[in-house]
Amino acid sequence: MPFAATTKEATETETKSKTSLARPWNVVVLDDPVTLMSYVTKVFMQVFGYPETKARKLMMEVHDTGRSVVWTGAREQAEIYAQKLQAHHLLTTLEVVDG
Amino acid sequence: MWAARVADGYVFGGMTPECAATLEGVPLLLESTDPRVTERIYPETCVAEEDERQWRDHAVPELERLFASRCQLVRRDLAAMKKVDPAGSHVLVIPDVHVNAWLAALNAARLALYALNDLTAEWMAGKETGSASAKQLEALARIHLLAEVQAVLLGEYELEVSDPDECDDFDAADFDELEDEDDEDGDDDDAGDAPEKDAPKRR
Repeated sequence: MPFAATTKEATETETKSKTSLARPWNVVVLDDPVTLMSYVTKVFMQVFGYPETKARKLMMEVHDTGRSVVWTGAREQAEIYAQKLQAHHLLTTLEVVDG
Repeated sequence: MWAARVADGYVFGGMTPECAATLEGVPLLLESTDPRVTERIYPETCVAEEDERQWRDHAVPELERLFASRCQLVRRDLAAMKKVDPAGSHVLVIPDVHVNAWLAALNAARLALYALNDLTAEWMAGKETGSASAKQLEALARIHLLAEVQAVLLGEYELEVSDPDECDDFDAADFDELEDEDDEDGDDDDAGDAPEKDAPKRR
């Protein structure tokens, strides 16, 4: 991402960007009424390498509460995981961890 | 419709023309440009506008390429689907190396049917479908049919392990041809996740 740190606005953008890069990101999967629960479990196992018990627990959290944070960590890796989950059509979003 | 496990894949047989038409409709659903579908297939991913723009610029084009490649693969398997008797019964073979592509494609097709027909979560759960139109009920039936195929591929049913040569309506030579094609194109898109050949066969 090109930065032209010659103006206040650019400097602020850079600072904000660096801050969001440094903070961990959550990969969040949201519930949808169509995708099979067994498929969600399989995808969690496949994408993250989670054991079946953990994958099933996260799937149930999505099903029961409407969402689950399935992974937290560096932005770049979070984006890779989100892309993989969307490749299987799981409803996935990314969010910067607060605080 | 019946399903059987063969050495390197799954055979779906006894499919009515309606079942076959539903499966043949999968690629068209995958290629839908209706905003209701594209909003679900390429959902808003990041909260911050700049982050979302970067996502759209970098991640989405890769997803588009993956989905197009997956659609071609599904279309190829469907092109090999055969009508095997005058009543119109069809047989489809899904090789193990295509299972993951099919699972995702079926999921996308089900999501597209849901979006295009303005279905509800309650109807999906089988509740109170009284207010659904005939078209919506038909879409629900198609979604559930595609889910059955997914369930088979996910190993939710205990399938009889069949010798392809003994499988009614199934010509093993067709299956060999499919395998040869896979060897030629070196398609490894979803191959790495294919079930192991020697995985226990459940019934």
